[in-house]
Amino acid sequence: MTHRYIKIGVTALVLGLAFSGMLWSTLREGTEYFKNVDEVIGKHEEWQTKRVQLHGYVVPGTWVQRPNTLDYKFKVQNNPARGVMPGGVVEASYTGLLPDTFKDEAEVVLKGKFDSSGHFRVEKDGVMAKCPSKYEAAAKSAQAGS
Amino acid sequence: MASLGSFLLLAAFVTCSYAAVVSVVGARRGSRRLIESGIGAFYLVCALMSCASAVMINAFLTGDFSIKYVAHSSDSVQPLFYKITSYWGGLDGSIMFWVFLLSVFGAIAVYVNRERYRELIPYVVATISAVQMFFLYLTVVHKNPFSTFLTGAPPDGEGLSPLLQNFYMAIHPPSLYIGFVGMTIPFAFGIAALITGLLDDSWLRAVRRWTMFAWLFLSIGLFLGMIWAYEELGWGGYWMWDPVENAALLPWFTATAFLHSVMVQERRSMLRVWNVTLVITTFFLTIFGTFMTRSGVVQSVHAFGDDPMLAKLFTGFMVTILTVSFGLVIYRLPLLKARNELDSWASREAAFLVNNWILLFAAMFVLFGTMFPTLSEAVTGERLTVAAPFFNKWMAPVGLALLLLTGTGPLLAWRKSALKNLRDQFLWPLTAAVVTGAGVMALGIPLWASGLCFALCGYVVGTVVQEFWRGGKIRRKNTGTDMVTAIIGLVGRNKRRYGGYIVHVGVVLICLGFAGTGQKKDLQVLLQPGQEAKLGRYVIRNDGVKVNDDGAKQTVTAYLPVFINGKQVDTLYPAKWYFRKHEQEPTTEVAIRRTLAEDLYVVMAAPPEVKDQSASLEIFINPLVNWIWIGFGVIALGTGIALLPERAYSFAVARMPVEAAATTTVALMVAFILLGGTTTFAQHMPGAARDENIQSSYYARNDFEKQLQHEIVCTCGTCGHANIGECRKDPCGTSHLMRAELATLIDQKKTHDEIIQWFVTKYGDQRMLGAPIDKGFARLAWLVPYLVGASGAVMVGFAAVRWSRRPEHAAEAAPAVDAEIDERINDELRDLD
Repeated sequence: MTHRYIKIGVTALVLGLAFSGMLWSTLREGTEYFKNVDEVIGKHEEWQTKRVQLHGYVVPGTWVQRPNTLDYKFKVQNNPARGVMPGGVVEASYTGLLPDTFKDEAEVVLKGKFDSSGHFRVEKDGVMAKCPSKYEAAAKSAQAGS
Repeated sequence: MASLGSFLLLAAFVTCSYAAVVSVVGARRGSRRLIESGIGAFYLVCALMSCASAVMINAFLTGDFSIKYVAHSSDSVQPLFYKITSYWGGLDGSIMFWVFLLSVFGAIAVYVNRERYRELIPYVVATISAVQMFFLYLTVVHKNPFSTFLTGAPPDGEGLSPLLQNFYMAIHPPSLYIGFVGMTIPFAFGIAALITGLLDDSWLRAVRRWTMFAWLFLSIGLFLGMIWAYEELGWGGYWMWDPVENAALLPWFTATAFLHSVMVQERRSMLRVWNVTLVITTFFLTIFGTFMTRSGVVQSVHAFGDDPMLAKLFTGFMVTILTVSFGLVIYRLPLLKARNELDSWASREAAFLVNNWILLFAAMFVLFGTMFPTLSEAVTGERLTVAAPFFNKWMAPVGLALLLLTGTGPLLAWRKSALKNLRDQFLWPLTAAVVTGAGVMALGIPLWASGLCFALCGYVVGTVVQEFWRGGKIRRKNTGTDMVTAIIGLVGRNKRRYGGYIVHVGVVLICLGFAGTGQKKDLQVLLQPGQEAKLGRYVIRNDGVKVNDDGAKQTVTAYLPVFINGKQVDTLYPAKWYFRKHEQEPTTEVAIRRTLAEDLYVVMAAPPEVKDQSASLEIFINPLVNWIWIGFGVIALGTGIALLPERAYSFAVARMPVEAAATTTVALMVAFILLGGTTTFAQHMPGAARDENIQSSYYARNDFEKQLQHEIVCTCGTCGHANIGECRKDPCGTSHLMRAELATLIDQKKTHDEIIQWFVTKYGDQRMLGAPIDKGFARLAWLVPYLVGASGAVMVGFAAVRWSRRPEHAAEAAPAVDAEIDERINDELRDLD
């Protein structure tokens, strides 16, 4: 009987180790830091080497497109409507197609890295704008009311 | 009206608590009358919820904007269909809709099973009532969908985002809810079995159909969400491992595991603890998914807004579920002991067990990945996230392992497979795998993961075909019929098994589509007028961008002829639509050229450069993607067969001449595939440009002609019954002809009805009339709330009359017993073979 339990135990141990090893290695390359705009402002050196998902809101009137290209530039800030003071803005650049939901004041998550000047370079397909879910309606009215 | 709605919800809550308490007391005291009273109250909840739903739909239809919920999620100009679907569109209403569905399902489940599982029923009633109480509590106290504005009501509602005014999006949530809510019924029976200690396999028999039913709707819900994302969002894919998507996937994994392991318990009386655990876990995950998407715990691009209060309530509820359920499991562990042990690893039960482990691992892994940001924040203080590549890397081997088991399980015998047996069984499936694998390798597809996936698909198909073939051969010998009849008879005799195999084929088709993703190509370009782009074998030219306006929206459409080898094969019209009131939210109208081999998928970026007619495009080639949708169709077919009531099929086969039965089944299958194929038409045609091409393709010249073009359906058979206003594909000369006929008739100043009559006469029957003639449907839709309300009221009255009667004819239902016993014997006999 004990022999059987040893066998089961060793199998479980090996499987567990293999699993955690694989998890560890894939997590190391697969993870990204999720940061709000105010958490990274002025600290871009610190974040330069890391892949970041930057969460913020598009500053109205700041997004421009270089004519005849798919190059875009825009600025993001913290959401002023939620009572967080707009502590500053991050400039971002992107090449590619923007989603429909990308617009002034849209809530966005940008994937990419900071360059040495503090400019945020969004990677390919790295712009996610909040899906206009039906459930959003309640939040919207709460903001409007406040 | 609003106060009536609130009152009904409150009444439902009170009745629910009565049902819960009185059922438990009745069961403990052995009082039949108390139990009956509990069941009656349970039906009453269903009636009350129907009335409340009627009030809600009525408020939407009449545009009662004094109710906050109505004002937020609809407006007066919204199409009727979307007014009704707005009921479950928002947070508050969706919770109420949840209770409504649960009360209906609960009532049906109790009604069907009340005699056969007499001992379990009181606790089933109590459990479902408790769940209902939680959700009703949410609606009454925290999220009352009937709450009104304190000051004056707004003149019009805020309206629904145009992105969501999409047919798939309207039916996707209810399908998912049906799946989620349906999982409550097995849970309630499981809890009842645990409480009463009646842990033989009978409770499983009561719930396996419910689980299958809920599983089917969960699958359909996932499918609708995927196809919506693919056709409407325009990023070229259908699944991105977003937390909201994962929330729906989690219970699907555990429910799939349960559907398999339940067979092991029925056959071998093993895995009893495991099955109860799976039922509880599945239910828990449905609640957890609801919690995750509505409480703001997980950051998602389509999170539904955060609500700390709701999060607290849900957490309390989930902790209660876990403590009570697993407490009961531990309490009943002695009774849950397996009666058999695993004899050999080369047995079917072992295959099922491994399949269960992998499915559960998949669920736990997706859960881990979804919760990873929250976990990492709790542990390290940093919010770390994982993205789609991480999930894909892990889930690809998991999927392949599952596919391998899908092919292996059916080949193994119960208990133990003999060596000779193994060789006999595995020869053909393995050959199929090797041949397919070699074939795709020769085509230059890499072995990992697509190549392997294709090979395994061949393996599973080999297994399924062999099963059908061998079963059919034996049956042919026994009954002396031809092969087709024998196979149909085979399916009819053991619907669950062969329906299950058909589901496996569907899974294979879906996996084909997933494997195709490995060969996906994409290109982002900005094309000046006249410029061309090349991707794969396609060359796409920009013939210009045109702006149109049809009153409700402004459309910007690119005209893109597509060439293969220098020959034009199609024209694609990707567009942006700017709806009135929602100019800030353009919708992407993706242009898709669908073939079974691959989709050419073109998206136009916003905002298009109208001045110089240039178009910035993203072009994708998505190989094999349509097989995913077809696969879901096959899954629905297989599950449908497995779900058919015992007598339906034998009746159909027995009464029909053999050939007719065969043809009917084949026709059904073809119809199903065609239905799946109606989605092939995803491309929106550019709006009718006035005075343009009138002679060549008969664009509508006025509203009357436009209306008729949309009422008459093209009979060519290749466009999936598009109406003749939309069927403008090149190969379809029929629609051209029909439009020409229509134009002539209009020129002859015929009236609407005369023209319709002319078409009906010419084309034989009413097949060519577009289904929902607006007027009729509108009338019907207006009737819905009153019908629902009336039936609710009738149910209330019926209950009242019945209860006020003296219990003199209690022993009336005797004749039903025979049929019941028959069915039970049938069940048991079936399990023996």
